[in-house]
This record gives sequence, structure tokens and C-alpha cells, in this order.
Amino acid sequence: MSTIRERAPLAGHLDSARLFLLAALVPLGLFFTLLWFGPVVYTVVVSFFANPLGEAQFVAVGNYVGILLSETFWLFLQNSVVFAVSTTLLSLVVGLGFALVVDERVAGRDTLRTLMIFPYLLPTVVVVYLWTLLLDQNLGLVNRILAETGLITDPIAFFATVELAMPSIVVASVWKWGSFAFFILLANLQAIPDAYYERAKVHGASPYQQFRDVTFPHLRGAILLILLVRGIWMFNKFDIIWLTTRGGPVNVTTTLPIDIYDRTIRAGAFGEGAALATIMFLLLAVVGVVYFLVLTPEAEVTD
Amino acid sequence: MFEGRLGGPGGLVSHRRQQQIRTVSLYLTAFLVSVFVLTPLYMMVVVSFQSPETLFSGGTLTLVPSALSLSNFQTLLAETDTVQYFLNSVLITAGVVVLSTTLSVVSGYGLTRFDFGGKRLVARVVLFSYMVSPIVLAVPLYIIFFNFGLLNSYVAAVLSITAIAAPFSIWLMWQYFQNVPIAYEESAWASGASRWRTVRDVVLPLARPGYISVAIFSFAVAWNDYTMVKVVLSDQSMYPITLGSSLFLDRLFVGWGEQMAVSVLISGPPFLIALFLQNYLLQGFNLGHE
Repeated sequence: MSTIRERAPLAGHLDSARLFLLAALVPLGLFFTLLWFGPVVYTVVVSFFANPLGEAQFVAVGNYVGILLSETFWLFLQNSVVFAVSTTLLSLVVGLGFALVVDERVAGRDTLRTLMIFPYLLPTVVVVYLWTLLLDQNLGLVNRILAETGLITDPIAFFATVELAMPSIVVASVWKWGSFAFFILLANLQAIPDAYYERAKVHGASPYQQFRDVTFPHLRGAILLILLVRGIWMFNKFDIIWLTTRGGPVNVTTTLPIDIYDRTIRAGAFGEGAALATIMFLLLAVVGVVYFLVLTPEAEVTD
Repeated sequence: MFEGRLGGPGGLVSHRRQQQIRTVSLYLTAFLVSVFVLTPLYMMVVVSFQSPETLFSGGTLTLVPSALSLSNFQTLLAETDTVQYFLNSVLITAGVVVLSTTLSVVSGYGLTRFDFGGKRLVARVVLFSYMVSPIVLAVPLYIIFFNFGLLNSYVAAVLSITAIAAPFSIWLMWQYFQNVPIAYEESAWASGASRWRTVRDVVLPLARPGYISVAIFSFAVAWNDYTMVKVVLSDQSMYPITLGSSLFLDRLFVGWGEQMAVSVLISGPPFLIALFLQNYLLQGFNLGHE
């Protein structure tokens, strides 16, 4: 009997009701206007000027041309992609492996699950302190183990070595953010009905076949979500890279967010920085379109 | 459906063998991941609770201590601004939690109860804002705060962190309110309750688990934040502990013991949340928190 009213909530109510609800949307509008649309539009406008905070000079697309023609932009874009892809794939592997373990009825699975929350909740600065000490050239545990097992003779300065700086940041990042993949995959694993596995066993399926034909198809959506969303977030990371290497040695860990910070806050070139921010924004918009088309996340609130 | 080259009768690897491999790899994975996750945490605690003398007694870091000490924590309190940084963290985090939670509860309620076209667009804007890099937002906010004379203030810190914390909070509350049936509100109106009283006495109690989750996630974002405050704050007396403690790395009298001790202090509040409120957290993870 109340189905009609539920389908069209408040449609026929008094004007005061609609006003009340409209008022509830005012803070949302203010929030996005002041802290999102305003800054984004402002960035785009500023990106067409040189020295926008002083005697601004209109340079049209000059800032963009300068950035796109520079060799560093393409190097930093490549670094960003390498960092995003390697951390995301490694997180996926570690998260999937561990989610499969915790999904089994192994002893202490609740403890293992709680364990995975800690790295995720620790502030990035703490993660950086821990890994700086672990990988320290003189006192670090990793160097000690490598030396004692005879794998190296001279201790390694991980964050200051050209070949190892990026892999070191990747490992520390997987340590902190790997739990994201773990928790999403675990939730999806636990949603697979036991009956599916039992039927597979009746049909004589081996563990490998059960994984291939039952488990994996149910995880496909979650894996896609992790690749897209975690990938974007890693592409955006500033703090963990800045705190460990400042983008060095010789730019091997400089990603686009680091470059934006360097150009603006450090060097004061706000026009160029704004142009770079706009480019990054457009890159994200492309991935965002893919995300909306493939996964239609907004269906969760609009359907 | 289940035929394949690897298993099954006559396959390359027999079922029993696969079963054994499976059991071994399960325990091996559990072991390796546990070591990977636990080693840094163990090292943090063990280093922080040793005096410099015992810590370096063997010529290298002592990881199985013979004596524990609070000397690192005493050094932090006596010789650094740790207490001030901590108070700043608490102040900024409280501001973000209150602002972000209030905004998301009000918006979530409005978005689910008010009928209008374009909800799909709003949902996409909320989700997209959640994918934009904080640094991309920090730069224009820096310029805007600079123009309004707000740069280097607690207000700037709270607003800029709320900008990155609120999109997920709004998203979570929006989903949450969808599962709070409107029938309860309607029966309250029918018995003559005012709109505001209905919200206070009916809606808010029903939404409590939702806004506790939102508050926890806003807390995590604010307590974690380094990027936003790094850009908008330059006065060290306003630094939160994340930014303040990063200055220690350059100071001679702060060694690894003190650095791990401050790490333990910063980790305290998140640790308590993980221990006591993990169900709220897990719920948020499944809705896609960063």
C-alpha cells in the first residue's frame, strides 16, 4: 500500500518539504563550488599565463608547448606510469595470494585479517621512517641480511642508487597500500557460495580447475576495479616519493605530482605548474571515462 | 566446464599432488606475507623502546633487546616540539572530522530524499573528485588561500584536507541513506512530528553506523595527511605531527630511537581504531576507500 509513495518519495509533499531538502543540498553545492570547481577552473585559467601571481602575462598555450616539448615531461610521465603499474600489479598479486589464504579456514585467520589493517592505517610518514631504517645503508636490516647470507659485499644505499630507488619505493608502497586489494578480493571471495565449489568437486575438478573456473570469474570485476582505481591513486602519489627520494637520484623517481610541486611551491612557476596540473587532470579524465563506462560505479546510488 | 590439460584423470599433475601443492602454498603465503607485514612493525617497537646504549651495543641495531627504556620518548618530550605538533594534529583532525562528517550526512540525506534529475551527474562528479590527485588540487588552493590571506592558517589546513576527505564521505553516506527506508520518517510525520524533529529522533539514530564509518575514514585521511599541510602551512608552530616529525630527520640530536618513538606515538590512534572499530573500517573498504 505504501509502494507508490516509496517509488516517488515526497513527490506530492508540501513546498516546505522540498525547501527543507533543497537546504540539505546547499552545503554540498558550496563545498564543490568553493573547493573543487573554483580551484579547477582557476587552474585552467592560470595555465594560460606566465607569472600569474605577479605581473601576469597572457601566453596562450605557451606553457603547454613548453612542457610538451621538454624531455623531462615524457620521462616523468613514464616514471609515473611505471610506479603506478608496478605498485598496482604487485599489490594485486600479494593481495590475491593472501586473500585466498584468509578465505580458507586456516588457524588464526582473524588475526591475519586484523594484521593487514595496520599498514594501511599508518600515516605515510611513518611508513617512510620504517622503510628508511629497514633499507638504511649502515644499520638497515635488509643490508645486514644480504651481507650475512653473502649476497652482497658492500652495503647498498637503496634510495640513493639509480637502479634501486624506484623498486625500493614500490616495495614500501605495496607494504602500505597492498591491503586495499586484499580487503576487496577477500570480500568478493567470501561472497562465492560454497555450493559452487562442491558442485565442481562432484564433477571431479582439481584445485587448479576450481580456481580457474569458479574463483577467478567471480573476481574479475574486483580485479578490474583494483587495477583502475588503485592505479589512478598510485599515479597521484606525492608524499611517499617526496619523503623518500625528493624525486632523485637524478630524476629517476620524479613523477608528475613531484614535478608539479617542484615547479610551483619550490620554484614559483605557477603558470607552468598549473598547465602541468591541467594536463594531469585531463589524463585522469580519460581514465575516469573508462572507469564510468566499464564499471558504472554510479549505479550504486542511482538505481 | 572442468576439463583441462593440467588436472583431471590423466592430467599432467594429479589431484592429490595439486592438493598437496595447494596446502603447502597456502601456509607458505601466510608465512611470507606475515613476515613482510610484521617485520617493519616489530622493528619500530623494538627500536623505540631501547636506550641508545643498548640499541647499538652489538655494533648494529639490537633487535632482540635485553633491556627496555623510555629514554627516546623522554628526549622527544624534552627537546622537540612533539607535544605542540600533536596538539596541532588533534586540532586539525577534529576540524576535518566534524566538517566532513556533517557535510556528508546532510548531503547524503538530501541526495537520497530529494527527487531531481541529474543524480547520475552528481554521482560522477563525487566519484571523479575522489580520483583527482591531491597535489593537483593543492596548487590552486594555495593560490586562492594566498589571495584571501588564509595561507598558513588552521582554517586553510582544515578546508584543504576536507576537500580530499569529503568526496568519499559523501559517497559512503549517500549509499548508506539509500538503505534507511523512508517509511519510518513518513510515519513520524503522520503522527505530527516536525521535519527537524524527525531528522533528529528518527533519521540520525538510524544512520549512526554510517556516520561512525565516515568519521573514522575522515579521521584517517586527516591524521595521515602530509601533502596538503605541506603546501598550505609554512609556520612550524602550526605543523601537525606528520609534517613536524619529518623535520626530525635532519636534526643531529634525533637518532633512529627517537624517530621510531615518534612513529609509535603517531601510530597510536590508528592502532586503537584497527583494534576496536575494524568492522566499520571493513565496511568502508568494501565501498572503495582510498
